[in-house]
Amino acid sequence: MLGVLVTGLAIGALYAATALAYNVMYSTSKVLSVTTGHLAMLGGVFGAWFVTELGWHPVPALFASLAVGAFAGWLTDVIAIRRVLARSDEHLWLLSTLALATIVQQGVALWWGTEPKPFPRLLPQDFTAGLADQKYWLPIGTTIVMAAALELFYRRTLYGKLFVAMSEDAFAARARGVETDRLRAISYGIAGALGALAGFAAGQLTFAFFAVGLTLTLNGFIALAVGGLGSNVGALVGGAALGLLNAFSANLIGGEYQNTVSVGLLMLVLLLKPEGLFGSRRVRPV
Amino acid sequence: MDFRRPLAALLLSLATASTAWAESPIRIGWLSSLTGALSSAAVAENQGVQFAVDEINQTGGIGGRKIELVTYDTQGDPTKAVNFAQRLAFVDKVHFVIGPVNSGESLATVPIVAKAGIPNIIIGTIDELVDPKRFPRAFRAINTNRQWITAANDYALKTLKKSKIAIIGDTSGYGTSSAKTAAELLEKAGVKPVFSTLVDPNKTDLTDELAKAKAAGADVVMPWSAATGLLARLLNARGDMGWKVSIVGHPALMAPAIRKLLNKPEYWTDAYAAGYVSMTAGADGKLPAATKSLVDRMRPKLGGAEIDFMFWWVALGYDTVHIVEHAVKKAGGTDPAAIQKALETTAELKGVYADYTWTAEDRNGFPDVGVVMNLADSFKDGTYRAPKAP
Repeated sequence: MLGVLVTGLAIGALYAATALAYNVMYSTSKVLSVTTGHLAMLGGVFGAWFVTELGWHPVPALFASLAVGAFAGWLTDVIAIRRVLARSDEHLWLLSTLALATIVQQGVALWWGTEPKPFPRLLPQDFTAGLADQKYWLPIGTTIVMAAALELFYRRTLYGKLFVAMSEDAFAARARGVETDRLRAISYGIAGALGALAGFAAGQLTFAFFAVGLTLTLNGFIALAVGGLGSNVGALVGGAALGLLNAFSANLIGGEYQNTVSVGLLMLVLLLKPEGLFGSRRVRPV
Repeated sequence: MDFRRPLAALLLSLATASTAWAESPIRIGWLSSLTGALSSAAVAENQGVQFAVDEINQTGGIGGRKIELVTYDTQGDPTKAVNFAQRLAFVDKVHFVIGPVNSGESLATVPIVAKAGIPNIIIGTIDELVDPKRFPRAFRAINTNRQWITAANDYALKTLKKSKIAIIGDTSGYGTSSAKTAAELLEKAGVKPVFSTLVDPNKTDLTDELAKAKAAGADVVMPWSAATGLLARLLNARGDMGWKVSIVGHPALMAPAIRKLLNKPEYWTDAYAAGYVSMTAGADGKLPAATKSLVDRMRPKLGGAEIDFMFWWVALGYDTVHIVEHAVKKAGGTDPAAIQKALETTAELKGVYADYTWTAEDRNGFPDVGVVMNLADSFKDGTYRAPKAP
């Protein structure tokens, strides 16, 4: 059972990290971008490419992967968000981000191939380490650090406070001279880098595989909805809960019910607590 | 009565008709998932199809008629496959349809092609794709899934002499039905699997499943999944656990893509996958003559170096076009009813991938003896080796 717990937590950490990236983008745009999981996929694929194909050391490969993720995040804003938000209040971003996600996925498939490829070993460790293997602990540790860093960023830095201000009321922030378009672009770049970091850290678990993106987009969203939109603690708890539920349902009742359990969890939480476990119920004064 | 003028007109019309027959191309529709998640096999098959078409056209075509290949990329998507099948049948008006490549797509297109009355060469493995009553002009060239499973079961029970079998299928439609069929066939042979489970094809770790199989006393693990990532994880979990247990199952177990996904190369030993006699080197290391000849002829087209993908897909694609050639020659044209008659009376048609036999009652052309177990880690230059007798 310890094995199920650790593997569940490891994959749950990846879902949680995806949910954190969702939150960063949501804070400045109120958009849930379908490309979020694909940012993590890019981190895994480019990380593997830099190390195994180009022969780079993992450290520069990590920073280069973060740069790729940040660029992809910024591109999401430029291509799929900026114009859509400027022209319509409707949820057309769902279509524009879905289109971009599909383009990114197909582009990676054409370039990288459709079969999973290996992700390199990042730390010297034998494969017989069992549950102490880095493939489990790297995503768990990275996600915890990522959440802590985001909290510090929001509380201690000027940009973080501006993000919070935009998240509270973008119109009011703009009225007070905040460059909301620029901030949104920065937030998408940060989310891209975070997603890529998560994909890089979990690469040994997921392999470098073009199709991982859509799975993470879906499961990251479930983690976010369960934990509470906008809450980083909620993202962590939601991700861990989803990962553990998936692992234990596969163990106890069989893999064929794994996805049913995930979506069932989402429906249950939305019915009982629509704002999520740690989300805030906003009351609009009229 | 002067009958010279009508006779001349008749001769002229016969000559015109015969010229038209000689000149009009034979149109073959080729539904292939050239891009997308399921493209690996399709890209290789496409090489074989193209090569056969070029070879036949360079030697004058079939009875003087060139082949015109109409290729559509279905991207592995049944919806797209349906649209393209309709286009082939009603817009392009092809004489034959080859494919689609994947069983899921074929399930959607076979009834459409059958309704249009067009002969269809099937290259999907699941049972439901052929039925002489519902789809009388659908003829399967590839083996059935049951033939793979039977070969794997027989190898575990009769050759390895192991009967405590753990079945692991993935949760896709293919994995689920294959795992079920494997269990049914084992039970028919008097063996009840000691453990059976389904796992998500993207599951990141199979240690838990293997631990359960070990606890159940399994001496063979039988995976039924085409997902190379999942199969590599299975081999890695077995290796990391240090469990000495044989793995016998789906051909994807010996896909070259697995090699790089393994934690250690030795994790691939004691693993056996269903393969083909035509693609298996003998004890002398030599391939069957027809296979070697095709490899040699195609190698320049494939870049000249060692072949780094499973060559059987190429051979299958190559054979599908030659099946069309055989049918047109035997039927004396492209009349669909004559083609059906020609194919259902075909016995032992020599191919590279296999020798094909169809009858009025059986549309599965691939012979049982064409399947053989291969050593999973024996891939070399597109082909495999058979394991030594234990």
